[in-house]
Amino acid sequence: MVTDLSDREISADIVESCRRGDRDAFRALYEAYKDKVYSIALYFFHGDESAASDMTQQVFLKLIHGIAQFRGEAGFSTWLYRLVVNACMDGARRAKPRQLASAAAVDALAGPGSQEHDFAREQTARSVRAALSALPVKFRLPMLLRYFEELSYGEMAAAMNCSMGTVASRLNRGHKMLARKLESLR
Amino acid sequence: MKEPATNGELRDLPLAKAPDSIWTSIEASLDAPLAGRRPGPLSALRWGIAAAALIAVGAGAWYATRPPKAAWDVVRVDGALTERGKIAVGEWLQTDGSSRARISVGDIGTIEVAPNTRVRMVASRPGEQRLRLARGEISASVSAPPRLFFVDTPASTAVDLGCAYTMKADEDGNGLLRVTLGWVSLEWAGREALVPAGASCRTRPKIGPGTPYFDDAPQGLEDALGSFDFGGGGADALDIVLAEARVRDTLTLWHLLSRVEGAGRQRVYNRMVELVPLPKGVAPEKALQLDPETMKLWREELAWKW
Repeated sequence: MVTDLSDREISADIVESCRRGDRDAFRALYEAYKDKVYSIALYFFHGDESAASDMTQQVFLKLIHGIAQFRGEAGFSTWLYRLVVNACMDGARRAKPRQLASAAAVDALAGPGSQEHDFAREQTARSVRAALSALPVKFRLPMLLRYFEELSYGEMAAAMNCSMGTVASRLNRGHKMLARKLESLR
Repeated sequence: MKEPATNGELRDLPLAKAPDSIWTSIEASLDAPLAGRRPGPLSALRWGIAAAALIAVGAGAWYATRPPKAAWDVVRVDGALTERGKIAVGEWLQTDGSSRARISVGDIGTIEVAPNTRVRMVASRPGEQRLRLARGEISASVSAPPRLFFVDTPASTAVDLGCAYTMKADEDGNGLLRVTLGWVSLEWAGREALVPAGASCRTRPKIGPGTPYFDDAPQGLEDALGSFDFGGGGADALDIVLAEARVRDTLTLWHLLSRVEGAGRQRVYNRMVELVPLPKGVAPEKALQLDPETMKLWREELAWKW
């Protein structure tokens, strides 16, 4: 995954323009975060593109309609990822019976746009995606926030409304579970 | 922790590209009122925007003669008749048995006002949008940051934490909150109930919020909880709640823990750990002492089961 840290934080000017209802600023905001939000949703919802699209749309509409009230005492991305976490959790509650990842759907995440040309590497990535999607929600969500967004423990704690200790504990256990799942998949 | 084993592989995961259709749908939602489309999933919001636009054009003169005052747009439906207007701070809105209304709370959400309901706009300013529900029923859908939208009732205040919910209040001030999305905090005089999607909570004047319960909880648990919270059911009611509780009902038990003392608290605790083993980091003695940090950590862990 290539993450350009310079584009992680949207400028205060853009947020301010959004607060004034500037459509171009909304678009800039959307462009800055869309792939990250969509990726989290896609991995969270087991590769279900339709669910991921719906969730991404829902998150950005909430953001656009609520941004006039955003006062900036908390970080913008903290608020954004809180919306993402809430949307994921609500989605998980509604879809409780489906606990396991669909192998075909998760495999499809590699997609034609992937730059993994090396076969062995692609196999590994496929295993990781499958294992990640099969993690219980409480471990999957922090892993996605950590590795797609590179959020700090503090940012993750704020977004997930829990303590940094809880974040650290879930990441730790998530890694261990992931390693075990990868062993069984290889 | 053997982090490198999976860390590198995770960092290699590709970002998925969001389909262009998402932005198209977002724009369609934003433009819908101007294009005169039929209401979709965001119909309440679209109606609010449409009402605001119509009012801006059609009621300009009325607007100019009024002193500047914060107001929300209202669309009132009485049978086949639709009436558009505003509700300002301090004003009441009342529906009869055959009418309904939809209030647009700035651009943060909408409130559907059911028949036979009386509401008052209390405040509209940055950092606080507040409505009073005197009696009847409202359904709120809010997309604002948490703790910005409040509904006061005779028995408690519903604090929006990013959610959708219905709130009822009867003639005696007794209330019922039912959450359909996100979380709501129901508060009164230092007493608080945190209610997630799929759960409800009753509230009574001079007592405040009762104990929240999931809507699919066993009927026996729900009835016993009502008796415990407001009917003086005491230990007998608590016995039933504990016996009927499922894993998911640790939501109810977590709240009960701080509402009972002594042996009762120990029994609630025992039942909780029987249903869901105590998570790492939650010390039994601290939990029984209701240590705030411990209780918070425990709730965070239990919430994954809710």
